[in-house]
Amino acid sequence: MLSAISGMQPRQLAAQVLNFALVLSTAFMLWKGLSVATDSPSPIVVVLSGSMEPAFQRGDLLFLWNRARNTQIGEVVVYNVRGKDIPIVHRVVRKFGGGIKPLRLLTKGDNNLADDTELYARGQDYLDRAADVIGSVKGYIPFVGYVTILISEHPWLKTVIFGLMGAVVVLQRE
Amino acid sequence: MASGAGSKIAVYSLSDLKNTTDDALPNYLNSLKFKQSHYLSDVRLALGYSAVAIAGGTFYFDYTLGFEKTKGYTLWAVILYFILNSVFTYWIWAVERGTVYVGEWRGTQVKLQSHVKKHTPVYDLAVQYKPPKASSKAGSEWKRVETSAPFNTWFSADGAFVAKRFQQWLATEIPVIGQADPASAGKASNESSSVDVQLNALRATELAGLDAAAHGDKSKKSNKKGRSPR
Repeated sequence: MLSAISGMQPRQLAAQVLNFALVLSTAFMLWKGLSVATDSPSPIVVVLSGSMEPAFQRGDLLFLWNRARNTQIGEVVVYNVRGKDIPIVHRVVRKFGGGIKPLRLLTKGDNNLADDTELYARGQDYLDRAADVIGSVKGYIPFVGYVTILISEHPWLKTVIFGLMGAVVVLQRE
Repeated sequence: MASGAGSKIAVYSLSDLKNTTDDALPNYLNSLKFKQSHYLSDVRLALGYSAVAIAGGTFYFDYTLGFEKTKGYTLWAVILYFILNSVFTYWIWAVERGTVYVGEWRGTQVKLQSHVKKHTPVYDLAVQYKPPKASSKAGSEWKRVETSAPFNTWFSADGAFVAKRFQQWLATEIPVIGQADPASAGKASNESSSVDVQLNALRATELAGLDAAAHGDKSKKSNKKGRSPR
């Protein structure tokens, strides 16, 4: 298989490498395009815990929108805890401020007994809408995100998938 | 694979047949002192790699500075990326259109485009050429020759590429190549009736060479031998 690569002209090799690079960069730029359109750094997230059951299950794929900044009680938002980079999907149960004052939110998982003050960073007892929230849920596809849960729980899978993808794109020629 | 000689391919794989043939074309023409122009593929590579560079830059700044600080630039990077990507695709589909060779031989410009119809083992070759002004009185205009041949004209049954047969086919069908390689052009017209015999002989003798075909009785014998296991 490798002899197929070593026998290539420089331009042919450059073209094969380009194919691979274009697959990766197109995926990345689509993601960034969606990010810019929704104004959210992470417009698609996967539900990692069962804290929002029965509304959302582990592995559900959520689509976020972050342009409507006047979040209402009852909306499901995704936020990052300060200092940690794990997105959490929970429902807004209380709001303070808004308008001229910065909007502050209190969230709770539907399936949790208590609200999220325990989850927030030390000394924080509410979410800052502008700084902490990365979007509110506008749609979802059940279960399809389960692959990413598998990948995050078994990191070696990522290496395997990435390696296979690379090999296929470089070696395949149609 | 690029050289076309030596390695064998799967004869039922159309893309193998086409790619090996496409790769052999520039080798042959360049050996006839055609001067190859890489302008089409260079533009394609430049378009593709600029798009990739933009994506790479976006990734770097997004990673180091974060989304909020870079989103103004990211918007433009995304737009520019997809413009470049569209031009890249347009270039491949509308400008290159299967071009396998662009070059020039003694003032005659040539452009060869190859195509294979789905599930049809026939190599379609469209040749455009423009003779130098001095040689033709009707002015110098692009002429177009379209020709096609089944792949088994130059592939043996077990998937070996027979460069000589391919070169003879090209030299006979395409006037410019015929001028550049009169030996191949002449040979093909003289021996065209014995193509099958020659190829069968080639199969049997495991590509010992075209010389074997000269002996008719030998080739018939080995022909039987070669076919019996199938």
